[in-house]
Amino acid sequence: MSQNKIGVDQWVEQYDQRVNKAKGLQGFIARTSQRLPPWGWLIVLVAVGALLPVITQNNFAIRIAGNIALMGTLALGLNVVVGYAGLLDLGFVAFYGIGAYTYAYLSSDFSGVHLPTWVSLPIIIVISALFGLVLGSPSLRLLGDYLAIVTLGFGQIFVQLMTSLTRVSLPGHERPVDLTGGPNGIINLDKLSLFGFTARTVTDHYLILLVVLAVALLVIYHLNRSRIGRAWRALREDELAAEAMGMPTRRLKLQAFAIGAAVAGFSGALFAGWQGSVFPANFDTTLLISVYAIIVLGGLGSLPGVVVGSIVMVAAPDILRDVTLAGTLFYVGVLVTLIGAIRPRWQTALLIGLVVVFGVIVRLIVGALDAQALAEPQLSNSLITNTVRSWLIIPVNATIIGNYAFGLLILMVLGVSRIKHSVWRLAALVPTLYVLIFVWETRLSQEPSVTRLLFVGVLLIVLMIYRPNGLLGQKRVEIV
Amino acid sequence: MHTQEVGKPMDIFIATLPQQIINGLTLGAVYALIALGYSMVYGVLQLLNFAHGDVYMVGAFIGYGVMMAFIPESGPLFAPVIIIILMLLVAMLGCGVLGIVIEQFAYRPLRNSPRIAPLISALGVSFFIQNAIQLTLTAQFRNYETEKLIAPAAGIDLGFARLSATRALVIVTAIVLMIVLQYLIKRTRLGKAMRAVAIDREAAAMMGVNVDRVIIFTFFIGSALAGAAGVLTGIVFTRVWHFMGFAAGLKGFTAAVLGGIGNIPGAMLGGFILGLAETFAVGFISATYKDVVAFVVLIIVLLLRPRGLLGARIPQKV
Repeated sequence: MSQNKIGVDQWVEQYDQRVNKAKGLQGFIARTSQRLPPWGWLIVLVAVGALLPVITQNNFAIRIAGNIALMGTLALGLNVVVGYAGLLDLGFVAFYGIGAYTYAYLSSDFSGVHLPTWVSLPIIIVISALFGLVLGSPSLRLLGDYLAIVTLGFGQIFVQLMTSLTRVSLPGHERPVDLTGGPNGIINLDKLSLFGFTARTVTDHYLILLVVLAVALLVIYHLNRSRIGRAWRALREDELAAEAMGMPTRRLKLQAFAIGAAVAGFSGALFAGWQGSVFPANFDTTLLISVYAIIVLGGLGSLPGVVVGSIVMVAAPDILRDVTLAGTLFYVGVLVTLIGAIRPRWQTALLIGLVVVFGVIVRLIVGALDAQALAEPQLSNSLITNTVRSWLIIPVNATIIGNYAFGLLILMVLGVSRIKHSVWRLAALVPTLYVLIFVWETRLSQEPSVTRLLFVGVLLIVLMIYRPNGLLGQKRVEIV
Repeated sequence: MHTQEVGKPMDIFIATLPQQIINGLTLGAVYALIALGYSMVYGVLQLLNFAHGDVYMVGAFIGYGVMMAFIPESGPLFAPVIIIILMLLVAMLGCGVLGIVIEQFAYRPLRNSPRIAPLISALGVSFFIQNAIQLTLTAQFRNYETEKLIAPAAGIDLGFARLSATRALVIVTAIVLMIVLQYLIKRTRLGKAMRAVAIDREAAAMMGVNVDRVIIFTFFIGSALAGAAGVLTGIVFTRVWHFMGFAAGLKGFTAAVLGGIGNIPGAMLGGFILGLAETFAVGFISATYKDVVAFVVLIIVLLLRPRGLLGARIPQKV
């Protein structure tokens, strides 16, 4: 520690030393990740991705992988706006929609225009970026948070207009013109065609999306390392200071906005081409929250984070559709969380033991009081689920009781998080876990789509509180 | 945008104007109540509480629950006025507590984080509440059985327009609540503390104001107003569902910004203006562009007066 770099905190500076000292698997991963240059990681990613269609002919798996690549690209665009420039853009999905609809106009029978994709893509990019500028220029005059609400409104309006612009009277037309196809959207779009190559199978689309993701990663990586990237980070950290240093803050913000919109429009076009149709409902708030969850989970501003985040957020819901797999995943997840969160280890074991005993006692008591209230457990083909179901009490009217238990669970979780004393906390965790398992078996596993969104909501809150930098975000020390 | 029949648009306009104004005031009263909560929280914490619209939705459902509990399947109804008051009170209390819980668990741990963290956490809360309601109450629409409490025919005929009893109830309740709020803020110790925290949190803390308690009260009052708005919406427009909070929250915020965020009379004014603008748009242009109007109004106001209609111009502090 002979020379302190200006503006670098001691803790940050010693990062290398800590990594080298770290033992075991964690240390190994940290060291390897440092040795391999970023382009090396990119090659690994593309190679692994390209191998997938060779390994499996399963279209379902390849479709999921394609979705991961597509959402990854979309999230990269949002990452520029939110992660680098620190602008909370809640209308981001609208640009995705604008790209998709523009693609639909440029290559379908709806408008009668059939441009090959490599011609229409640049047009789409320019149009999306222009929309970004048009939305950005008034809203950026506003103070910080107003941007969030104006963009949120913009996203909402976009969906609204696409749904309702079905009978518009235009000059030069006698009858009202259908501009958007309304809720039924625009269907039968042309296939993606790049320089004479037309994508037909799932694998074709997947490979295109993979290459696009790789190129986007490369471009944005270099953008971030460039002058403009540094300026964005300065802007994010302290806008006033950045302005005082002579940075053109307004122009920088607009650039971030336009680049984010362009990336979103681009991925929207690919989405439209892949799906072969566009509907207003494709661009609703659920998608917005999912994209936010991706970049928050991975870590705002982190490129590997975007990839990891989209793998988790896209693959998880698809896997959860399989009830057996979902059950297994849930119990493994709970177990891993307990092992990670509770130290020392014997307490984890004690806790699990207590929960099992608690369940047996509850079962005995309920059985003695009113044996009629219990339903025969429905057996599935998963060992874990079957074991749990024969241990748990499943009441006859499981849905109603499960709903009340869900409310109780929320209260219990909030209560437990307030208990400081470790012994009491452990004791309170026993019934909480039992109720959690009960709610999972009676309600959550029955409604996978709602459960997934609930999970995303909780994830956003918990991540912001305990790990605001996400899984792979850079550790930053706030110097006050 | 629709070509109306080439009749006498001016005559139609004048004939329907008074009724449109009444409808606009009803809608505006609801928006104003939502806007107040937004504005109060923003004034004290500089936080956009995205979950506010969902608190409003929960309020509508609590009111629905109370109503269903007290309306008998058949037979005569016992004191409808008391039922309505009970619906309002229970919803306000429930939402107030919900607001405190949200503040305690989702926002308080993030009070010293970068600005973007509580915003994302708020998005998470909003999403969680919506889906929790969908999980437990399903995605069905529920209908308030207002006609059992207030006879649909009841109302005053003003000659040029009709003020139905439900609309009168909404407007009067909202105005009473606003007067109570105004009194609370201007005349009580708590209100004084709130204003102090809004101006400068640190200075207020140094002067012995219990900032945490003020924030809790702010969330309680703001959320209670949202709960009342939810019940009133249910009474007038009858339909409630788990996703109703999103659009309403957006409108409420628009109203708050319109009037100058952090400014209490501004939020009321903004709410009424937005309600009127929207009703006029529906009445004279087309129902399709209802939500577009709110957004356009917001953009125009922010371009002309970035601080809102009644917002004071404060130099940025470093």
